[in-house]
Amino acid sequence: MSNDRPLVLPGETIDLSLIPSHPKNPLRLGPGLRHIPPSDIVPTAAGELITNPVKNSMWVEYNSNRYIPSQNDIILAQILRSTSDFYLCSLAPHTPPATLPHLAFEGATKKTRPVLLPGQLVYARVSLANAHMDPELECVHASTGKADGLGPITGTGCIFDVSLGFARRLLMARPAQDGGLAVLEMLGGEEGGGMAFETAVGRNGRVWVGSASARTVVVVGRALQETDRGRLGVEGQRRLVKKLVREMS
Amino acid sequence: MTTTTPPTLAIPGQLLGPASRYQPGPGTHLHESNLHASLVGQVHITQPARALGPAKRLTKITPAPAPAELPTLSVTPATQLASAPSREKKKREVLPEVGNVVLCRVIRITPRQAVVAILVCGDTVLEAEWQGLIRVQDVRATEKDRVKIYESFRPGDVVRAEVISLGDQTNYYLSTTRNELGVISAVSEAGNTMVPVSWKELMDPKSGLMELRKVAQPQ
Repeated sequence: MSNDRPLVLPGETIDLSLIPSHPKNPLRLGPGLRHIPPSDIVPTAAGELITNPVKNSMWVEYNSNRYIPSQNDIILAQILRSTSDFYLCSLAPHTPPATLPHLAFEGATKKTRPVLLPGQLVYARVSLANAHMDPELECVHASTGKADGLGPITGTGCIFDVSLGFARRLLMARPAQDGGLAVLEMLGGEEGGGMAFETAVGRNGRVWVGSASARTVVVVGRALQETDRGRLGVEGQRRLVKKLVREMS
Repeated sequence: MTTTTPPTLAIPGQLLGPASRYQPGPGTHLHESNLHASLVGQVHITQPARALGPAKRLTKITPAPAPAELPTLSVTPATQLASAPSREKKKREVLPEVGNVVLCRVIRITPRQAVVAILVCGDTVLEAEWQGLIRVQDVRATEKDRVKIYESFRPGDVVRAEVISLGDQTNYYLSTTRNELGVISAVSEAGNTMVPVSWKELMDPKSGLMELRKVAQPQ
């Protein structure tokens, strides 16, 4: 493991040489780190300590399967039921449902609003999340009023559960270069035989795969899940894609 | 039916007289147009003020005041019921009334209200904790529709509020709309007691971080 990403465990002290410094910007702590005044920085999760000297920030990169809602996350939720003013949606099993107001969609008024049925999937943003209240969602940008891709999911497809770290890597700007995930490109490219599908990735560890053909949905979903569970690198992903295409044809 | 005089001692539920002959006072209630006692104690009859004749003035004759009202029945709690002389005066429980300023602790918050436990009424510490609700439209006086409960109260805060309604069986209804009402004491996420900075911010003195609350004006 390279030295610039040391493994840290919860509660241990961080070597002072690892903490970046900047002449102007204050140090910003990301997830997995806690500041105990006056000058202690303590990890709260086990993972790799990553620092960004340009922005003067540091955080711990760790993987888990339990999603804890935090503000401005884009997630995939499933409608459980509808009350008079909002929909109750499930972000994760065995957790309190999140509320999605009826009017929190683009161009929604009391007379024209999308009617969603229980079981339907929604791509939404977490507008309020804290330890004391149930989370709240929205499908529209609060200030601009535009949806920006949020809203109910249309088309035939299926949801697959992945770990949170895998979902974060999929949501990176360049998953192949930064996250080491080329499996989706391969499936749509030559190794996969040019399959046509679309995906929606939620930070709560859910990926929706949609396609006209059920075989494509199953192949893509299996590829994602086995990449996640097997922790495959790029070469492993290539072999996996070829194997799946051979099996399913 | 022969008219009977009301009893001198009453227990809760005891019939005192018809509403056509008496007016209800403290300690009594109306049920099917009859007056019944609500407390254990002595029954008092207060005669109404005597109707005066028309007042004669030099230039003007004013009409008489309203016709004679009915006498008022009230039940005052008995302070010493036992015959033993060494028995101490039993403490009466003070109940919050409409308009009282109370101190309460926030138990739970939801997007539409904050559930609180009323601890102190005026200057008296209550023996039992009464539950109260601060609805989102009663948190402050301006911009009532844009109030966010999470930026006004958090569980564990001590709040000074005013009782606006006796409410239903489980809850009093409270309000913090005045400037001197709101969060008095709160603990930050790091665990330190915070100090007020403005009407909507409290500051943790050790870390310097601000937290949003509806803060009471210090007196």
